[in-house]
Amino acid sequence: MPLIDIDAVSVAYGQPSRPVLTDVSLQIHEGEFVCVLGQTGCGKSTLLRLVLGAERPLAGRIAIDAQEHDRPDRTRGYVPQKYSLFPDRTVLDNISFGCELVEFNLATRFSPRFYRRRREIRAVALDCLRRTGLSESDAGKYPDQLSGGMQQRVAIAQALMTRPRILLMDEAFSALDPATRADMQGWIRELWRETGTTILFVTHNTHEALSLGTRVIVLAKDAPGHGSRVRLDLPVPSPCRDEDSSRLVRCLEGASRNQRPDSIASEVSPVETIVN
Amino acid sequence: MSAGILSVHARPGRSATVILSWFLFAAGITLYIFTATARHRENPEERVMPTLVQMTQGMYNAAMQPAEDDAPSSEDVTQAPSVARRFLNSMLWKDTVATGRRFLYSMALLLPAVILGLHMGLFPYVGAFFLRFVLFFDKIVALSLLPILFIAFGIDELSKIMLIVIGVTPTILLDTFNLTRGVPPEQVVKAFTLGANDFDVAYRVVLKQIWPRVLNSIRLNLKSVMLFLFAGEMIASTDGLAYRIALLRRHMGMDVIIPYVLWVALLLFLVDLSMRWINHSLHPWFKES
Repeated sequence: MPLIDIDAVSVAYGQPSRPVLTDVSLQIHEGEFVCVLGQTGCGKSTLLRLVLGAERPLAGRIAIDAQEHDRPDRTRGYVPQKYSLFPDRTVLDNISFGCELVEFNLATRFSPRFYRRRREIRAVALDCLRRTGLSESDAGKYPDQLSGGMQQRVAIAQALMTRPRILLMDEAFSALDPATRADMQGWIRELWRETGTTILFVTHNTHEALSLGTRVIVLAKDAPGHGSRVRLDLPVPSPCRDEDSSRLVRCLEGASRNQRPDSIASEVSPVETIVN
Repeated sequence: MSAGILSVHARPGRSATVILSWFLFAAGITLYIFTATARHRENPEERVMPTLVQMTQGMYNAAMQPAEDDAPSSEDVTQAPSVARRFLNSMLWKDTVATGRRFLYSMALLLPAVILGLHMGLFPYVGAFFLRFVLFFDKIVALSLLPILFIAFGIDELSKIMLIVIGVTPTILLDTFNLTRGVPPEQVVKAFTLGANDFDVAYRVVLKQIWPRVLNSIRLNLKSVMLFLFAGEMIASTDGLAYRIALLRRHMGMDVIIPYVLWVALLLFLVDLSMRWINHSLHPWFKES
């Protein structure tokens, strides 16, 4: 059974209504690393927000582990492009915030048990921090004092601290410079292999999608004024050789631009599935 | 330096900046003394511009003599009271306490406005319920309500405090509302994914984050608070700094009015400064933009 089941979902915005997604269906299984690719405005962030529960579809349903969720909760971690860290908390407090929230409410925060437990949580958070590649001296800094790459590392650590089964990343590396970005891509692959978290990663960068994902989904509109559909659902061969990769990039870019599916089909080998 | 002193690229040195920033103070004081002396030479009975000596004397009387309304007890007459004791019995201190108390009450009443603004910004139903009304309420000229308040609440403390609350609350409320709306939605979503509930999001994520800005907005509205407070005190009161100023106007008591005005400005400046300092030291992460 799929972990995330998106069933015939449509979304439209505004008045008069402008369709964003039309009849999108996707099944994502536990442990997959799915990259959603598409041009600006194709609704890939909308798709992510639907899975997150921050938005509700006009039609269709979204089930996480066979259950519908109408608001964001602990089952799905979230790392947006920016504003992910709470600016009023130090790095360490940001990482441990999730665990503190879950275990203690306003009343129990004043019990002595809270202070004992908080020390343990902080120790775990500090360990987490070390694995992100930040030094311990950064623990007391505020997010504003960190570089963009460091901030995203802390944001990912913060999201993983509560051990969500699904991690949703919305253009998480798009604001970073190329070197930091490559660094972060390697790190997130490693984390994914270690933790087995299912990751849904939205990006507009084809190379990033190919180097990260085990599966790449391309969203594109059939014609202007239509909602986007799943144009291509492509398992990424592992290991991905260079000549394969350049061919796949061409194919993916063709799909997200407005090429007809049949013209792509000729370029794609039988392993890859085409969804209309 | 090639850039002219009036150009955008001018780089004044440290001493030039200090001298320039104090120049208008010095010029104002000098001009006052010069004019006052000239007027006193012409007319020794001059009352519009008291000399510094007269003002010092007037302020000394206000700050060191027992307030007129209490009869000195036998104790006070027998032993000479200390300076601090005399100050605590003085007219100036009593007026300051009366005004300060009203000021603190009204500040305390701004807190519910902050909470309501937060809820309006965060909870759609609360926003839908209150927003239109508050926007309308904000446009009512508070001073025009003064007669209604005096009729409805009488002329004692309540009506003065209500005036301040009605005058300043909508501004603070709408400010908090806008600040709440300005918090990136990512923050709220993130908090929910970390396991927060509505209460956590409102008070531990959003309020905590906008709090320094709210304090700043209250600080910038101190002047309107004082404006409404003084209006109320001048029209109907039996004590307070503005009452004293209004009372002394009848006697042309400029020797006390001018120091009182400066005293009020100094107090307000100190409150402003301390709020800024508190804000800065409580929220080291906060940068004013």
